Amino acid sequence: MPEFRALLSNESEMAQRIRAHDWAATPLRAPQAWPQSLRSALSICLNSSFPTAIYWGPELRLLYNDAWAFIPGPRHPDALGKRADEVWPDIWHVIEPQFQSVFATGRGFATRQEMLPMQRHGMPEETYWDYSFTPIAGEGGEVAGIFNQGQDITARVLIERRSRLMLAFSDQLRTLDTPGEVLASGLELAGSHLGVERLFYGNAPPESEAIRIEACWSDKALAPIAGCIPFSTFGEDAQEALRRGESFAVADVESDDRIRTASVRDHLAEMETRALLLAPVTRNGTCVAALVAQQHTPRLWTSHDHYLLRSIAGRLWHELSRARSNMALRESERRHRLIFEQARDIIFTADLDQRISACNPAAADAIGLPANQIIGRSIGEFIPAEEFHKTTAMLQQKLSEGGMTRYEVSVCTTGGRVRQWDINSALTIDLDGNPIGLHAVARDVTEQRAFDEQQQLLINELNHRVKNTLALVQGLALQSFKQGRTIKEGQEVFQARLGMLAAGHDLLTKEKWEGATVAALVADATAAYADPPGRVLAHGDAVVLTPQAAISLGMALHELGTNAAKYGALSRPEGRVTINWALGQNRSFSFWWQEAGGPAVQPPTRQGFGLRMIERALANDLNGDVSIDFPNDGLVCRITAALPEPS
Amino acid sequence: MSDQTPVAGLRVLLVEDEVVIAMTAEDMLEEIGCRVSAQASTLSEAMEQADNADFDLALLDINLHGVMSIPVAHKLRDAGKPFIFTTGYGAIGLDDAFGDIAVVTKPYTMRTLSSAISEAVRGIARG
Repeated sequence: MPEFRALLSNESEMAQRIRAHDWAATPLRAPQAWPQSLRSALSICLNSSFPTAIYWGPELRLLYNDAWAFIPGPRHPDALGKRADEVWPDIWHVIEPQFQSVFATGRGFATRQEMLPMQRHGMPEETYWDYSFTPIAGEGGEVAGIFNQGQDITARVLIERRSRLMLAFSDQLRTLDTPGEVLASGLELAGSHLGVERLFYGNAPPESEAIRIEACWSDKALAPIAGCIPFSTFGEDAQEALRRGESFAVADVESDDRIRTASVRDHLAEMETRALLLAPVTRNGTCVAALVAQQHTPRLWTSHDHYLLRSIAGRLWHELSRARSNMALRESERRHRLIFEQARDIIFTADLDQRISACNPAAADAIGLPANQIIGRSIGEFIPAEEFHKTTAMLQQKLSEGGMTRYEVSVCTTGGRVRQWDINSALTIDLDGNPIGLHAVARDVTEQRAFDEQQQLLINELNHRVKNTLALVQGLALQSFKQGRTIKEGQEVFQARLGMLAAGHDLLTKEKWEGATVAALVADATAAYADPPGRVLAHGDAVVLTPQAAISLGMALHELGTNAAKYGALSRPEGRVTINWALGQNRSFSFWWQEAGGPAVQPPTRQGFGLRMIERALANDLNGDVSIDFPNDGLVCRITAALPEPS
Repeated sequence: MSDQTPVAGLRVLLVEDEVVIAMTAEDMLEEIGCRVSAQASTLSEAMEQADNADFDLALLDINLHGVMSIPVAHKLRDAGKPFIFTTGYGAIGLDDAFGDIAVVTKPYTMRTLSSAISEAVRGIARG
């Protein structure tokens, strides 16, 4: 038959196979007997470059072209001439009703993105197809066969699905704030989408060659795991793949000859793992993290699975980094906010127009206004005009020379109080290096300055007193070493006077420089003559003298005592000194020193320093009259003074 | 000391709040040939003496029991009387107006006292 020869002279693989096939053993019988309808259809089939098959006769015997040959997988070339139900037991439940419908109705059928769960390689796989069944009318008009054209669109469907998933994945993860949330949500989404039983993510610390599990998701079939899993747990090949940054799949642990060693099998058995897929995350060529999918049943991992797991692993790494740096940023922000809020130092920021942009509670307290009544106002509103010129000049200096400035400024706080602030300030620089404002830390140094001033006053006063004391000592020295005294006598007198001066100071120090009582002064000055008792008889009112008066009276008593011991009553055992004092009306003070029982008194020809000093110092410091008389039976010193009202 | 204006015979108003120091100054002044013709230990006494006493030159303690004696200095300047300051403080507390007046810090020696007096008398003599 010329057409049939022409038909079979087609040099395609399938034309040759059809020619060589033993058709006589099938219900179709020898090709020479094939009806015209089949021949025509087969001619179109073999000449088409589109995947095309013919299911002929009631048994749906299969004929197909080269383009269709890869569709049944390893079932080609044996599928030729076989019944449809023999070729497609795995999807028969889907396509049988479709064949039936075409036979019954005589109308063609077409479907798009039909999922056919094929098991071409011993394990189920999801495949997607666009295909049509077209009835071929036999010689009698009945449906004699079905013309099938179809296209595997699995790759396209999966790519679309992958894109959608990755988009959803990114959208969902992007909104999460913490690494924990990112991991939990990401693993759940990926695990359920991939239909795996366990999915865990871990980082691989440098040089560790191990995955430190950070989070694990699992469905009911497998329990979650934790800990640190060395790459070698999955075998040498897996270890090598991870080192190279490649994914690694095992469809069935029991039949995979890369899983050789007993220890690896034991490890995987412990994890109840029959199938696994490892997807590393690589940075600079090394594995830094990995996503691991596991099943307790065998699973044929598709390139889609590989690609998807790697994409998800990469995305998880990225989102985790983002969440971690956000968290670090928030933590840092929180820490700095806390320092800002709790600092006792005054902290504020301002823009380049010196408008305050933020201030801490310490600053608000110092100014005496709530922060929201400070922010937005110019620095110039809180300091005098000349001080604002100073801060403006400082800002200009920072803008032209950079660095920090430190200066003191008077600040007007609420209630009109002016405080002295010691301010440290520097420019705030944006990421491009442009100045955008300034930040300042200040301390209220008003008290410090007042203290410094007070300190200086005290130092000056002390200096004065020391100098004055030295002048006093100088005077005592000059007076002691003259008047024809020998050096030894001069030394004795000088030492006695220095002692008296020191005692006067002691007394005042004891009384905190607030003055001393006359009784205490008398007791102090006559203590040296108290033995035997009765030599000095002292009695008087309770009178407190001012410090200056106390020193004068103390010195006077000392001079009188020294004089008495040397020349007067106290130079003899039977001599007596009687001391009386009283405070009368209007604080009139009177004081007597009377000596008796001493040698006959000779009035001095020239009054010595000691007595001169007594007269003048007392007159001066007590603002009174002093008289020293020398009757024959003993020296008498009388003092009358009007004491100031006690303060 | 040959180039110094002689100070012998000068009558001095001594303003000093500390008796011992006043007595010492008195002795020193006598040693160099001066005579203390008036004394004061408070601001009011000093003001009164500046007006009424007979003296050629004043020794003025800047601080009299905590009271500054500057009013006395103004009075002396107005009267054209030469004077010198004495103090334990150094020159602290003095108006700039008295920058030309000698300040003798305590404790002073006879030599510094003598030359300061000499300078003060000569300054006035020239002025």
